[in-house]
Amino acid sequence: MGNLRRLVLDVLKPLDPNIVELVLFLADLEGVDGVNISINEIDRRVENVKITIEGHDLNYQNIVQTIQEHGGSIHSIDEVAAGKMLIEDVATSQD
Amino acid sequence: MDEPGNQRGYFAQHINSIREYNRIAGIAEIARRYMAMNAFDGILTIIGVLMGNYLAGVRDAGIVIHTGIATSIAMGVSGFWGAYLTEAAERRRDLVELERILLTDLGQTKIGRASRVAVIIVTLVDGLAPVLAALIVLAPLFAARLVGNVLVSYVLSLAVALLGLFGLGAFLGRISGRNLLGYGLRTVVAGLVAIALSFLLEGVGL
Repeated sequence: MGNLRRLVLDVLKPLDPNIVELVLFLADLEGVDGVNISINEIDRRVENVKITIEGHDLNYQNIVQTIQEHGGSIHSIDEVAAGKMLIEDVATSQD
Repeated sequence: MDEPGNQRGYFAQHINSIREYNRIAGIAEIARRYMAMNAFDGILTIIGVLMGNYLAGVRDAGIVIHTGIATSIAMGVSGFWGAYLTEAAERRRDLVELERILLTDLGQTKIGRASRVAVIIVTLVDGLAPVLAALIVLAPLFAARLVGNVLVSYVLSLAVALLGLFGLGAFLGRISGRNLLGYGLRTVVAGLVAIALSFLLEGVGL
């Protein structure tokens, strides 16, 4: 089975634990090379974030579990990439 | 073979978890507030017990100790029950609100666990603070035989109470970053007022 290399998630999470803590927990997971969390929207008690994770062999279940353990709720999987090399989204004339 | 190392790792892991729960649920701040408030209550209540016994002519340290301990137990039980019920209700409400926003069950997450740990720690602090404060104030009466004179034990207990109040005030002063002496003296005045009012009531024949 091919290895998961990139995962982009739309997540709603509580303000605590904050994104600095969450990014470090995700970066510590096995197979993860780097993580980025950016804020889309902040509310009184929660924030909507985009989590981008890249690695050589991402474990989707572990990632989901870590996010949920910290109170996050995954709204959607916005982008995935897997295989021997990382393929970027290609713009087509229809775009 | 590496058992002590494993134990250290186990404890370090637990301490880290508690630190994390503290960061999530703000446990230290509320526990500190309960500690100061209830230790203050405990000391003032025991001042009342001491003054009541003294003015009623009780010169047997055993009676004062029994009254004091019974009062501290009641304060402890009140602290445990009151804090558990109020804190559990507040935390539950807070968690349910967050669950409603996130549309997810937070019971088995770090947030849910932090909330439960907060209730336990705050309940323990709220129950133990007045009991410990009261027992410290009663210490000179426990040592009444060593002191030799029960009246001296009364005076020493009141002195310990006032010192305890000063310590609590100074602690609050340190938290607020203000004048330690000023805060300390303000709490001592509360103890002096309690003592003075007891004498006044005795004076009017109550």
